[in-house]
Amino acid sequence: MIFSRFEVKGNSMQPNFNSGDRVFVSKFGKIMENDIIVLNKDNKNMIKRVKKILNNKYHVLGDNQNESTDSRHFGLIEKKNIKGKVLFKY
Amino acid sequence: MKKILRLLDKINKPKTAYAHCDVPCGVYEPDSMKWAAETVLKLNEKLLDKEWDGKKTLDERNFLIRAIKVKEEYAQICKEQILILWTDYFKPEHLAKHPELHDLVWKATKQCSTVKRTVSIEEAKKLQEMVAKIGKIFLDTKK
Repeated sequence: MIFSRFEVKGNSMQPNFNSGDRVFVSKFGKIMENDIIVLNKDNKNMIKRVKKILNNKYHVLGDNQNESTDSRHFGLIEKKNIKGKVLFKY
Repeated sequence: MKKILRLLDKINKPKTAYAHCDVPCGVYEPDSMKWAAETVLKLNEKLLDKEWDGKKTLDERNFLIRAIKVKEEYAQICKEQILILWTDYFKPEHLAKHPELHDLVWKATKQCSTVKRTVSIEEAKKLQEMVAKIGKIFLDTKK
């Protein structure tokens, strides 16, 4: 699927994304540092921000780091785990 | 466009993208602190690669400020990564097997502050070595 829609659940991306926000995600386009992405980790989709790209691996963080499980805990993620980049919320 | 998507959501619900503590906790790794220390070293190399005496262009000053800012940021990430392992992962039995760990973590986190304060390849390499030792102990606990 090139484009997909997701509903955000949780607070780890506040203040930029609140629980209940809908996001439009695209598989197209190069992922850059600071992009918001949806990734799949342990069969769960998660929304995070790319903080650093190192040797084609991605360090991702929640914007609200007090309430986020992210690369600080599970390490770098691979490109194959990325569902796409958030284009906009609606 | 947004109205159409909302309408589409009513017909076909969007999937959920979790934004909270949503994977089993207890997943730890030593790579993040290693690449943070490596980033600090690279920035020291870039900073020391240039002459900073005399009048500088705006671009050169911009580079200087960005490089220092990122060096500071990644020294802090390194410190946080070490402390996550220290406070959340390492257990008394790990310390019993590696009694040097307490001192090593203490010195490594202090070294993260040192590399913020200084522009020195030597200090950045010291941090890398300390982080590598902590990483080695971490991997040993996984055997």
